[in-house]
Amino acid sequence: MLRRALLPLATLAAIAAAQGLTALPAQAQPKTEITFARFFGACEGDYGTSQDIAKARGECGVMTTLVNLFNATNKDNIVVKPQIIEWGPYYQQLNARIAAKDIPTIAVMHAAQLGDYTRYVEELDGVLKEAGIDAADFTPNARTAVTVGGKIYAMPWDTHSWLWHFNIGLFKKAGLVDSAGQPLVPKSVDEFMAHAKQMKEKTGKPYVIMATAGAGDFANGGRGYYSWLYDQSGSIFPAGYEKADFKTSESLAAFGVFEQLAKNDYITKGLDGSGGLGGFMNGIGAVYMTGTWRIDDFLAASTKPGGALSEGYTTRVFPNLFKNQAVWTDNHSWVLPKGGSTTPATRKAALTFLKFLWDHNFDWARGGGHLPSRQSLMADYAKLPLRQYVVDIPSFGKALPHEVRRQFGFQNMIGEEVANIVNAGKTAAQAADAAQERSVALLRGR
Amino acid sequence: MAEAEGGIGPSHWTNAAFVAPYMLILLGMLFMPLCLGIWLAFQDYDMLGGWSGGVGIENFQNLLDDRIFRGTVRNTLKFVLMTTPAFVALGLFLALALNNTLRRSALLRAIFFGSSVLSVTIVTLVWRLVYLPDRGLLANALGLFGLPGVDLMTSQVWALPAIAIVTVWWIIGLPMTLFLAGLQQIPPELYEAAALDNAGRWRTLTGITLPSIRRTIVVVAVIEVILQFQLFGQALLITGGGPDNSTRPMVQFIYEAGFRDLQLGFAAAASQVLFALMLIAALAQFWAGRRKGV
Repeated sequence: MLRRALLPLATLAAIAAAQGLTALPAQAQPKTEITFARFFGACEGDYGTSQDIAKARGECGVMTTLVNLFNATNKDNIVVKPQIIEWGPYYQQLNARIAAKDIPTIAVMHAAQLGDYTRYVEELDGVLKEAGIDAADFTPNARTAVTVGGKIYAMPWDTHSWLWHFNIGLFKKAGLVDSAGQPLVPKSVDEFMAHAKQMKEKTGKPYVIMATAGAGDFANGGRGYYSWLYDQSGSIFPAGYEKADFKTSESLAAFGVFEQLAKNDYITKGLDGSGGLGGFMNGIGAVYMTGTWRIDDFLAASTKPGGALSEGYTTRVFPNLFKNQAVWTDNHSWVLPKGGSTTPATRKAALTFLKFLWDHNFDWARGGGHLPSRQSLMADYAKLPLRQYVVDIPSFGKALPHEVRRQFGFQNMIGEEVANIVNAGKTAAQAADAAQERSVALLRGR
Repeated sequence: MAEAEGGIGPSHWTNAAFVAPYMLILLGMLFMPLCLGIWLAFQDYDMLGGWSGGVGIENFQNLLDDRIFRGTVRNTLKFVLMTTPAFVALGLFLALALNNTLRRSALLRAIFFGSSVLSVTIVTLVWRLVYLPDRGLLANALGLFGLPGVDLMTSQVWALPAIAIVTVWWIIGLPMTLFLAGLQQIPPELYEAAALDNAGRWRTLTGITLPSIRRTIVVVAVIEVILQFQLFGQALLITGGGPDNSTRPMVQFIYEAGFRDLQLGFAAAASQVLFALMLIAALAQFWAGRRKGV
């Protein structure tokens, strides 16, 4: 009786076991989770499940879609867990995480920061080869950006830079367009001020919109200052990287451009990032000083009938007002923080994901607006809307050398002094004095 | 087993087990970091570069010479002086007005306390829209009366008071609640006696209410002094410390020195100065309260 009762159970168990065995190959890959620390914003509302990379726009849209796509399509059962942090406090949080040994597998890093972090991130020379990433395809700008002391410490993701974004409608109204209807770009400080005066007289609006009010906006002034300093072949480290000099004639001239703009009310005052962005979209000023990453957003806004940009939008490299064209550049890159990969499986997964990102570098450049880090993509990039005006940036873009410590501290401090000129009425000389004093504190200690 | 002198039971070392968890957490989470912070203040310690050895009092000397730091001490003290009396006066006023059983008072109590549950990010986002030059709520409101818009955020005079207004609006709920609790402890017989003596409202307030809640006033003032010395989020998110360092508080300076510029020893020294100032201010208030017989 008992035997008869147990027989069906045994049969069921055998079937279940057999099914388990046959099912095993399909689930052979155990799930491998890796963490992916980044900024670029959160946009789950728009791109939460999207895998259509062609439709992704903006840094956040592309980044979110890429992770969705990878998680859905990779054959190794790898799950990338994004850890999204606001870019302003990103490095402060990363520092705290390193100190607390809560280390992400992959992290985004500005190349300007890399010099400070080489003790904490892996060298990637051999790693990139292992992942199937051809470092020979790096653009020269990207290669310099991720190389410290002759060694590669990151996979470059882009080159980004500082642009002027134009409201063509306001330029037309001010009579500052050429025969082709394109904005006249000033070639000297005097010409710049003359154009700004004309803009104000004809439209009643400031020539320049720049966000200067919040801590996250201070980088803007820093980038503009660097660009006009580099146009004069100037440097804040004329005598070695342990002592800055903000009182050179080139430095005073760079601060001086902002002083002239502020004194004549040719630049917006007291705007934060969202106020500046919204202001440009609503036509409160003619030129918005911001980065390559906004090109796609403004192109989209210019297609909306009745909008402030509906009469046209274009962009140009931050103009050379002095001797030679140069502009501030930085690069987003991906690093493998030491201690972030705890097992061979997570390390392999990290390399697989890096390779996936490398293969989608053009998607990032298209949707995110930045220049690709791969030389082989440049020709196609130049064919994208308006990118012909920015594609040459890697050839003349400049950044501080990696030997300069605390580069974000410098960028913020300089930007804050520019904001003090714009919002608090400081002179260029006063800003240079303050920057000089503050640079001593920044470089103090090891 | 010996009877504890004046105690309620026998003394035994195992009794320490009852307080041990608390003491361990206190030592580990408060006392040890405090000691480490004091040690750090005398070191050259870069967050990423590591430890380079002791530097004596050099970090404190550098703080004294640092114009930005001196500015942050000034800003922080000004902010405490602006907000603490406002919290005490406004909190007391709201508590007096809403200390009854009316339904609308219950609703208003909830409304006034409601803003306290918002995060600093939300509060500053809202108030930036209020203060936005030209297109903000304030500018539009002034425009209705034909007045020009004011840009508080670019004014070295008005930016800090503007942040103080945000802060008072944000967390007035706590002092109001503390005062309500204090008011409800006053025996109703005192008010009945005062009414029989035909005491007016002012006389009742000054003769009964305020003396009865003097201890609460001291508590609120001490709590607010300690809290407002720690001003950070509002200033960082609304002005970033500008214009021209006129709103940068000490905590922002510490945050920037330590976490942005990686100078942990220097930041720790600034933290000790802040700690000392808070301690002095709180003790002074406490001492002043006791002198009045609280």
